Amino acid sequence: MNAKRILQVQNISKTYGKGSSSTTALSGISFDVLKGEFLGIMGASGSGKTTLLNCIATMLKPTGGKILLNGEDVSAFKGSALADYRGNKIGYLYQSFELLDNLTARENIILPLSLHGVKNADAERALLPLAKHLDITEVLDKFPTQMSGGQKQRVAAARAFISAPSIVLADEPTGALDSKNAKTLLDKLSSLNQQEQKTIVMVTHDANAASYCSRILFIQDGTIFHELRKNGKNEPPEMFYERIMTVIAQLGGGSANVL
Amino acid sequence: MYFKQILYNIKKNRKDNGLFFATLLIAIVAFYTLLSLESQDVMRFLNALEGDAIQKLMLLVPIIYVVSLFFVFFLVYFAYAYQMENRRREFGLYLMFGMKRGRLFLMLMCETILNSILSVFVGIPLALLLTESISLTTARLVGLGIIGHQFSLSPTAILGTVGGFFLVQLAAMLILSVRFCRMDPADLLKQETEAAKKPTSGKQGIFSFLSGILLLAVAYVMGVTLLRAFGMLPTLLILIFGSLGTFRLYRGLGSFIERALTARKSQKSGLYTFTGRQIQESVVHQHSSLAVSSLLLLTALACISFGIGMGVGRTGADARACDFSLMGTKEDVTAFIQDEENQNVIGDCYPMFIGNMYYGDSTFSLDGIVDAFETLPENDLRDNIVENLRQDEEYNDLYLIPLKSFNALLASMGEEKIQLADNQVAFYSRMAADSPNYKELWDQALRAGAYVEFTLPNGNVEKFEILPGVYYNNIVADRAITLSTTLVVPDDLYATCARHTSDKTDSADETGQMAEDGRAVGSAGGNAGDVATESGESTPLAGGVSNFAQDNDASTEPDTIDNVEDPFAWNIRLKDDVVKTQGLLPAIMEMQSRLDDSALSYDSYLGGIGRNLFYTVAASYLSIYLGVLFLLIANTVLVLKYLIWQRKNHGRYLTLMMLGAKKRDLSISMGKQIRLYFLLVLGVAVLNSIFAIWSMFTSFVKLPAGTSMLTVIILACVALVCFVLVEVLYICIVQHKSRKEILALHVSERPE
Repeated sequence: MNAKRILQVQNISKTYGKGSSSTTALSGISFDVLKGEFLGIMGASGSGKTTLLNCIATMLKPTGGKILLNGEDVSAFKGSALADYRGNKIGYLYQSFELLDNLTARENIILPLSLHGVKNADAERALLPLAKHLDITEVLDKFPTQMSGGQKQRVAAARAFISAPSIVLADEPTGALDSKNAKTLLDKLSSLNQQEQKTIVMVTHDANAASYCSRILFIQDGTIFHELRKNGKNEPPEMFYERIMTVIAQLGGGSANVL
Repeated sequence: MYFKQILYNIKKNRKDNGLFFATLLIAIVAFYTLLSLESQDVMRFLNALEGDAIQKLMLLVPIIYVVSLFFVFFLVYFAYAYQMENRRREFGLYLMFGMKRGRLFLMLMCETILNSILSVFVGIPLALLLTESISLTTARLVGLGIIGHQFSLSPTAILGTVGGFFLVQLAAMLILSVRFCRMDPADLLKQETEAAKKPTSGKQGIFSFLSGILLLAVAYVMGVTLLRAFGMLPTLLILIFGSLGTFRLYRGLGSFIERALTARKSQKSGLYTFTGRQIQESVVHQHSSLAVSSLLLLTALACISFGIGMGVGRTGADARACDFSLMGTKEDVTAFIQDEENQNVIGDCYPMFIGNMYYGDSTFSLDGIVDAFETLPENDLRDNIVENLRQDEEYNDLYLIPLKSFNALLASMGEEKIQLADNQVAFYSRMAADSPNYKELWDQALRAGAYVEFTLPNGNVEKFEILPGVYYNNIVADRAITLSTTLVVPDDLYATCARHTSDKTDSADETGQMAEDGRAVGSAGGNAGDVATESGESTPLAGGVSNFAQDNDASTEPDTIDNVEDPFAWNIRLKDDVVKTQGLLPAIMEMQSRLDDSALSYDSYLGGIGRNLFYTVAASYLSIYLGVLFLLIANTVLVLKYLIWQRKNHGRYLTLMMLGAKKRDLSISMGKQIRLYFLLVLGVAVLNSIFAIWSMFTSFVKLPAGTSMLTVIILACVALVCFVLVEVLYICIVQHKSRKEILALHVSERPE
């Protein structure tokens, strides 16, 4: 395994509240993400998977431990460095898209670049191949209200990838999509991962979505409970899906209990 | 528990939302200021002098009160709407915890009532403070002095204020409570986001924008050209075109901003596009509110300008010429003036002669003036003047004032005397005080070399050149007495040609040249012939009382006026230091009571002040009041609408932060949005009001001649500075509030 370690999560813990009323969301999680990896994080409701993603995204400050992106401690970032980290080093894909509805698709996508001083005309150059790849060229001048859910999420995906971040964090990206649009999005994410070596960390409760990942971490009660790795490119998705479902069953409640 | 919760909510809301509470206080102050008008110093004073007029004015107050209620309702409604929007999650939780809708409604209404009571307790003293200051300031501005000030607490005004305030509050809250209580908890819990609206399609928007500009341009041109002849139809058309133009302009403004944004954005970075889109959206979403606010601001500016214009016109132009005009025998007047107590307060006393040309022996020709007028460009006013001059000739109507009388008046006012060379006269017309156009035209005619010809009793025809410049000071204390075509002539000419007015009152009535109240001329006429004037004596009246004899110029000239009959009136002006120490009003009142004890009939400057004040108060005070009210309402509505809209956009700022935007950049973008948002409203309002005020001051509101341009400019600047300060204050409030919200943002707030 000679691939570069993009993200190192070292003994991360997160506790909400103080004293007797405190709740531990994460208790000492450690893992690495390698360049070009498509990592899935699954777990039951309250297992801490979203807390973990939010800590990586600097939306939450961990109580203990370190998160290193390309060797830099992200929890030490402040001011401009923090803004730069959020805009340039990571991309974020939300379940609810979080597109600005008064901006066109084009303006939404190039926003992270604009925010970091890239002129709109220059940003366009990065936009076109990405838009073509995600099949959103024809909606570039439309406002979010004029697009379908699938188009919105692909526009959001383009926004997450536009600044060529080291890693893209996706929080239940298919949660608000129908199965057809979910499949289209996952196909696109998967091809970006495989063709362009984009690194993706995706939190999901959907075994089908998780089956697109190359590795899956299962979290329970704030710790890593299990890890599944796809057997290279040869393992068909259906097989990987079966293995995922088995782990979910072991987690103790079936999919109805897993969010 | 329930009541405790209500009290807690009130306290929390007041702390969190100072703007809301301030709005309620504005409403109270607005009501009280209007309703307590009757008990203000100026009004009490006027009531004593011009009771009927004041009663008529007071009939207007309820109408303005209802208008205020209507507008204040919107103010309160938006304040509550903002408050409720901020609390929608809280309401959702109450419902989810099992609170019945009825109970939630009751809670909100109880909060409203308690809030109103609290606002009244703070607002009424505040309103009292403000009305007392207004009372004192107005009294001082119109020269009544502060000595007569009386603290006034008007129970009816308080009752009306509290009643109106509660009515408006409950009505606004009723509508909002019903709306919010009917919503499902899920809708309440979810932070409402503004439904995205696509701007009106490009071409349609640009058409709307251009048609708006066109309509406004038509309204401007019509206002400036057609409003001179004030007619119902043009006024109505101007209002329709202006309002429609403003609405269409704002409707299409979104597309215009989009075009501007698209054209420039390729070379921009940062939050440029976002800021532009935010402004565009605020215009697209709120184009009607922006248009209404802009029109309200226009109304506010027009009302305030009208008020200031009327105030300046009425108070500024009519400088105090004399305080009393006495009508009585020379002996009576002398006796009164020589009284030791009176001597201490009387500064100047001089006889004012006014006469007509004799019918028989002396005649005159105004051809020289008519010719001068005919060299000027033709217009209606010029033709009217020429026609009137012809009539004056036909009816032999020409008033004369001897130079001595007039110079004494000027000297008493501290103005430069007229120097007449041989065969020179000066032109006087009171109409020039009220009509700047009339004055301007006469000025031009006099510069063009106007002259008069007198056929003297000896048969000689003499030509008199008229000095450039029109005089228009009040010649007696009663301002109702006005003369139109009058000449200030050398004393010997007056002695030769003039016939005393007291012999010719009927003629004055017939021609309408002399508008008088009958009393003044009648009483003077009653004593005609009883005394001969003794202005030639060194001290004909009281020692220390200035008169013709003390006038060096006059004493060297032959005192020809001695030969004519008694004066029209004896003008008295009180000593300046007495006025300064006592205040004008008390000084005049005191002298008035002395005069009442004497047998003399008199006219007082107070009568003039009364009428003058009535106009000042009726026109200035009420229009400024409405102007300020509109200004506050327009701004508050603008601010609240913006804050409500911004709150709905909360999520956008979180997304931007997640995408790497710095809080500082977000604050800067927000600041730009706020300034541009206000600028869009203010820009159109100010442009509209420039034309509105221009039309107004060239049509139905005319500043009287002699109104110092400097005063007008200073007042306009002061008003402008106040307006800018008010706007800056509002912008600062919004910016401060928005900045606080941005600083409080945290990316972890993002809804999951």
